[in-house]
Amino acid sequence: MLTPFPIEFMIIVTFAVVATLFVILISVALVIHKAIEAQKIWREDRLYEEYSVLFAELLLQELPSPAFDAKPSAVFRQYDRLIAPIQAKLKGFSTRRRRRHRHVLQKVLIDFAQDLSGEAAERLVYFFYAFGFVEELCQLLKSRHWWIRAQAARDLGLVRARRGISYLTAALEDAHPDVRNQAMQSLIVLVGVEALRTIFRISRELSEWTQVELSVIVMGFKERAVPYLIEALDSSDESVVLFSIEMLSQIGFVAAVDPLLNVLSTHPRTNVRAKAAEALGRLGDGRAEEPLLSNISSGDSGLRLSAIEALGRIGSPKAVQPLLRQWERREIRERVLIARAIARCGEEGLSVIRTIAQGEPSLNTAIVGQVLEELGYLEEAA
Amino acid sequence: MTFLDVVQAVLETYFFFAIGYFIVVNLTYTFFLGLSFKEILYYMRHNSFGNLRLLVQSEITPPVSILAPAYNEEPTVVESVKSLLKLNYGTYEVVVINDGSRDGTLKRLIQEFHLYRSKRLYLPSIEAKPVRAIYRSKKPAYRNLVVVDKENGGKADALNVGVNVAQYEFICAIDADSLLEEDALQKVVKPFLEDPKMIAVGGIVRIANGCKVVNGRVIEVRLSNKFLPIFQVVEYFRAFLSGRMAWQGLNGLLIISGAFGLFRRSAMIDVGGYRHDTVGEDMELVVRLHRKMREWRRPYRIAFVPDPVCWTEAPESTKILSRQRNRWHRGLLDAMLIHKKMFMNPSYGVVGLAAMPYFVIVELLGPVFEFVGYLTVVLLLLLEALNIQMTILFFIVALFYGVMYSVGAVLLEEISFQRYPRARDLALLLSFGVIENFGYRQLTTWWRVKAFWDYARGKKGWGVMHRKGFEAGKHESSIQEAR
Repeated sequence: MLTPFPIEFMIIVTFAVVATLFVILISVALVIHKAIEAQKIWREDRLYEEYSVLFAELLLQELPSPAFDAKPSAVFRQYDRLIAPIQAKLKGFSTRRRRRHRHVLQKVLIDFAQDLSGEAAERLVYFFYAFGFVEELCQLLKSRHWWIRAQAARDLGLVRARRGISYLTAALEDAHPDVRNQAMQSLIVLVGVEALRTIFRISRELSEWTQVELSVIVMGFKERAVPYLIEALDSSDESVVLFSIEMLSQIGFVAAVDPLLNVLSTHPRTNVRAKAAEALGRLGDGRAEEPLLSNISSGDSGLRLSAIEALGRIGSPKAVQPLLRQWERREIRERVLIARAIARCGEEGLSVIRTIAQGEPSLNTAIVGQVLEELGYLEEAA
Repeated sequence: MTFLDVVQAVLETYFFFAIGYFIVVNLTYTFFLGLSFKEILYYMRHNSFGNLRLLVQSEITPPVSILAPAYNEEPTVVESVKSLLKLNYGTYEVVVINDGSRDGTLKRLIQEFHLYRSKRLYLPSIEAKPVRAIYRSKKPAYRNLVVVDKENGGKADALNVGVNVAQYEFICAIDADSLLEEDALQKVVKPFLEDPKMIAVGGIVRIANGCKVVNGRVIEVRLSNKFLPIFQVVEYFRAFLSGRMAWQGLNGLLIISGAFGLFRRSAMIDVGGYRHDTVGEDMELVVRLHRKMREWRRPYRIAFVPDPVCWTEAPESTKILSRQRNRWHRGLLDAMLIHKKMFMNPSYGVVGLAAMPYFVIVELLGPVFEFVGYLTVVLLLLLEALNIQMTILFFIVALFYGVMYSVGAVLLEEISFQRYPRARDLALLLSFGVIENFGYRQLTTWWRVKAFWDYARGKKGWGVMHRKGFEAGKHESSIQEAR
């Protein structure tokens, strides 16, 4: 039955209605905010365009060569003269406007930095210093927010600000992986391949993601990275060692064989030795044959399988009989692997596999059937 | 005390129970909204520093096996497989499992991809219906395609065969009619590379109705011009961006959609793969992964990627939507009953003490409480015992929370991925967050309540799902989901 509403009731209802209206208001505000944001982006884009045109001119502008006996700083004075009007203009702005312009300016310089080389690139780096952006970024590397530190690390690399090297080296030990990864990449840009030494020395527990990022960098250096990778085989961090082994096999440089053989025979961890076996197989060097053969009966399945697969990759007929001896002892999945390895060991291995294939239909003929099909002998497999 | 007095007392007690329940549930929702906001913000920032293209460039990117079960999909199977073969990723294989289709699905695949019967050995690690043959393509362009022909056993069985056939450690289970973003695999593989404890990652599923789809790719995101799909867009935002994102933050995510999920094969084999005897095999698998990992004391993580990775076609008629919701609810009920041991069990950590109770009390029983609540109001009104003030108050506050939660989920999308670029679409989504409380919400509640009845009767089927197809002007396909 309907009774007059008490004051507490009216308060709660009013609160709920106001709160609902508040949410609706926020939604409307969001739609308006979206439209305003679009407007702001449009304005920023225009400003970006203006600065892009201006800096394109400043970077391409021919400067008179300094006198023969002029100090090196004479060039910098010329650069200073180029940007003096912009600096003066920025000084005249309100703090808010200046911040907006500096933000866009920084963006333009960073974007340009990625496409420039030679004197224009040097000029741009100088501009970056002159506007105080490098100092700002180095300070941002100490921010308490990881995303600000990561962004600063990335930007220091993009503008090739060498003053940031020591800060970036320190950032390799940052608590957040994104900061470490950005610092790594920037150091590579600033220092080149030699940065790998520092990276491998300082880095601990590389995640697979970091390894993917690093692998692209290392593959870009190819054989120039080999000495650093070999050096990293002695690292106390397992992830660094595993990554170095993987990269050495990907690069495929013959100088890596002996250090990898050393890892295979002396490393205390079997998973590392298995990785070395796998890498030696990819390198395909005959010197690895004996050490690999001694591991095909290992009690550790990872090491054993890697050694078998590696022997298949090297493809020496000498491995056929020892592999064949393992054949009957192993379970079906391992037998597939052994058959695959034998089939790759030259004519001798292939004929062994063909002989098995011609036998009475059995599990063994099915295994070699699959292997022959994999190798492209479709008719024989059938 | 008369009978009527007793009834009245019971109903009034229920009314107060409902209020208490409502307060607890909505406080939980508010907590989730806040947690999701934090998680999404972290994800956005974190991802701005990871160049996913490296996964395509690197030589050490782990390969992935994509499993696509197909049943009577002759009209669409070739296009779907071609679209899967065009994904932007390093090394991957596409394993299509023909689950004993009665139409020409297999024949079409054989013709189109020049398949031959392979000698590849089938070594099952998980029990499943027999495999009739494995096919490979003679064409080098399709050398990463494997087609498995097997006896009909349902989607779960087909996926188990796929797991058995797959060569690689990472398994991506998808629905044959899912549309994947070109970089979908890159996005879901990344969490595995960042955390070696990761065993499963789910991706967000979005509604493609109204979007422009060309060659199996969503190229323009728009809202449908029909009501039902828009309601579902808001619902999906709520479920994925708010619910799942929050649970993954607590490592208590209990569901990875069957439409798109990436799993570690070894973990899947260890727990025995998908169960055949449930309609919610996707949820059941994830709950089992949690259960077994905790029982075996293995450190693990199950995560969720809020980036749009997969698009699906939502039902546009109430009849089909009701079947879908009914099936989802039966699946949830099944998973909760199978793993009832975990409920409120401290040995299962956050899953036993928080996730399971939440899914049982809020997700599973919520519709029942709501439905009984409506009935109570009607009965109390008939008995002239309704406290009008409390009822009005309750409905206003309920509306406020409903709107707040829906609008909050839309806001999460707006601050993060902004896949609906038009202000009109955003305004529509926000307004549907309000409108859905008048009718649509009650309808879905009824369908879910009905699921209990169907479950009790032993209904196990999926129901027939008619799909219109994504690309305008293309054939209409009817997909028999019932197995």
